[in-house]
Amino acid sequence: MFKQKTTEQIKAASRQTDSGSHAFYNNPKYRAIIYQALLIFGVGYFFYAIVSNTLANLESLGIKSGFGFLSNAAGYDVLMTLIPFESTDTYMRVFIVGFLNTILVSFLGIILATILGFIIGIMYFSKNWLIKKVSVFYVETFRNIPLLLQIFFWYSAVLATLPGPRDSLSIGKAVFLNVRGLFIPGFTGQGGSILVYIAVALAIACIFVLRSWAKKRQDTTGQQFPVFNASVALLVGIPFIAALVMGFPFSIDLPVFKGFGFSGGIAVIPELMALTIALSVYTGAFIAEAVRAGIQAVPHGQTEAARSIGLREKRIMSLIVVPQAMRVIVPLLNSEYQSLVKNSTLAAAIAYPDLFNVFIGTALNQTGQAIETIFMAIVVYFAVNMVISFIMNRFNSNIELVGR
Amino acid sequence: MANIFKSDPTEFKPAPDQPAPTSSVGFVAWLRGSLFSSITNSVVTVLIALGLFSVIPDIINWMFISADWSGTSQEACVSDGACWVFVRSWSQQFFYGSYPTDQIWRVNLSLVALFAVIVSSFTLPTSNRLKISIPLFLVLPFACIVLLNGSLVGLEPVSTDLWGGFSLNILMAAAAIIVAFPFSFLWALGRRSDMPLARSICVVFIEFFRGVPVLALFFMGSVMLPLFFAEGTNIDKLVRVWIVLIFFMSGYMAEVFRGGFQAVPSGQYEAADSIGLNFWQKTLLVILPQVIKVSMPNILATFVMLFKNTVFLLIIGIPEVLQLLLTALANSNWLGGHAVEGYVFVGFIFWVSCFSMSLLSKNIEKKLDTSHRN
Repeated sequence: MFKQKTTEQIKAASRQTDSGSHAFYNNPKYRAIIYQALLIFGVGYFFYAIVSNTLANLESLGIKSGFGFLSNAAGYDVLMTLIPFESTDTYMRVFIVGFLNTILVSFLGIILATILGFIIGIMYFSKNWLIKKVSVFYVETFRNIPLLLQIFFWYSAVLATLPGPRDSLSIGKAVFLNVRGLFIPGFTGQGGSILVYIAVALAIACIFVLRSWAKKRQDTTGQQFPVFNASVALLVGIPFIAALVMGFPFSIDLPVFKGFGFSGGIAVIPELMALTIALSVYTGAFIAEAVRAGIQAVPHGQTEAARSIGLREKRIMSLIVVPQAMRVIVPLLNSEYQSLVKNSTLAAAIAYPDLFNVFIGTALNQTGQAIETIFMAIVVYFAVNMVISFIMNRFNSNIELVGR
Repeated sequence: MANIFKSDPTEFKPAPDQPAPTSSVGFVAWLRGSLFSSITNSVVTVLIALGLFSVIPDIINWMFISADWSGTSQEACVSDGACWVFVRSWSQQFFYGSYPTDQIWRVNLSLVALFAVIVSSFTLPTSNRLKISIPLFLVLPFACIVLLNGSLVGLEPVSTDLWGGFSLNILMAAAAIIVAFPFSFLWALGRRSDMPLARSICVVFIEFFRGVPVLALFFMGSVMLPLFFAEGTNIDKLVRVWIVLIFFMSGYMAEVFRGGFQAVPSGQYEAADSIGLNFWQKTLLVILPQVIKVSMPNILATFVMLFKNTVFLLIIGIPEVLQLLLTALANSNWLGGHAVEGYVFVGFIFWVSCFSMSLLSKNIEKKLDTSHRN
């Protein structure tokens, strides 16, 4: 940038020296102003035309623009809601229900895709020929088949062929899988359960303190502390003790087969299952590629140097290779997570009630408020992606190479 | 004198190389090294092998051995394997949609033309390659539309709601990326511009089309776009989708080009300035060819993404291949549960196309990689 500017300046200067007067339109400074004025005029006219046409069209269609419709009763039911919802509730509540469903599926998808992607990506570097080929096969298969096709496949070719509720697949008497979905036990806390939740929060706080202490100790003395094992112990131990003290203030709500279906427990509808599986399998393939690229970007000399100072193979991976690979992986993860959230809109194809489906789909159809509904949904997707981007960038700046 | 080098008894003669020990070469050594190098490794190998052996024979049996291949209706599917009769009897639908059977040569001709233009851009002599293939590329989508529609060239008119199938997926993706090319180039240039207003307009545009879910864009195309035009303007649904795809694509490609611009060394800009080229000469003759070259693998990757995304068109009711598959599955003559066959078939044709493109992109990347890394 800087260099280009200087050449421009040299040019301007040479023009000024070789003859006295110049037309103003040859001066790059004025030209830039003229171009931008033209551009602004063009874009402004474009938007003016669009807005005036839209207003005229809406008027002739008899649609009242504005967000007033949000307080009207929706009048339709939503298949799955995380908060109580009835068909007499407002469109605003539909919006929130859809938003929560989108967050749920995106969250599940991101977690599962990351786990899957890292496992498959690291499998590529196995010395075992079969494991390596499994990794390649997975990536090349699922990356190259359209996501929508995979969603349909899981939904109508796999999950729809499961047995009916009467002969569902089950693990013990707690987990049931059938054509109506997955039924798992739910936990409900009673009186003293609040103390257990506090214990969980306390354990997490302890882990953070422990981590910074262990890092400081390693920086000064070089001694390592088994942070991971200690963290797991804390996270399990403290809440367990709290629960023991309070006499296990939880009731487990098992799903029970009654009449025609299951009641009790947590029911995961097949739409959510199909969407989560397809999203995480598809995105997992891309994350595996990112992990592979990241690990390959670490020069082999790093591994050799680590061996030469006597580190064990496991330590080399966790202390030398992965931290350096993360610098390549995290920016790629960022964009994969964002595209996962955007891809979750494909829920519309199998009628999972995400924001897109209940709002741009049904609400738009019923009210005709195309601009408002699409605008609101788009803002949500932008906001979610900005939050993801913010978190990942914070994470990235933590692991970035510190320049000298 | 002549054979002094041959038979000097004092000359040092290294003994011939020993053959490598049999334990480190050959099939057995490979097995030992890569599959059974340790106990855990052996256990994993055996487990995976057992898993594969329990699945693969069943799959092969279902797909090939006990599958039904010939016949015209569902009655031909008597065995318990795959019913490929279903795919066969719907194959014309899957590839061409409802395009009239006696006019299908027009679709084929369009696909051949597309293929020929792509091949020509790789095989023409370098001296006039850009001069010929860029205009060819830009004319191609419009020529295909004229040919497929037919009313302008005196052929039997075929309205756009009859277009469909896998050929529509291919042509739609190709037409979108070709028209998006010049746009995205302009957006990328704008984003690098020194003019603050031009730059911010381009940034907003690019980020908008990259940030919005493509499905929302399609809905905007089908619900909002008609509102934007003056009353009475009726734009074909396929054209609206095409416009959406072009904008969507140019947002992504602009970022690809931006990377390409950054990869061109600044010495190239300075050299072009020093021989007195003006801005457009510099950009089009010196920088653009290098940008296209370095961003070719990314362009292909973006195209693969677009190509896979053409399936989303079914959500707004365009009869692309997956939509036709769903129609076929719901057909009352074929209610035998052929979902798996259908999805496997459509998945396979997409897989073949996308995988071959990613191989091509890897190949180009290797060719472009002139650095001497190891």
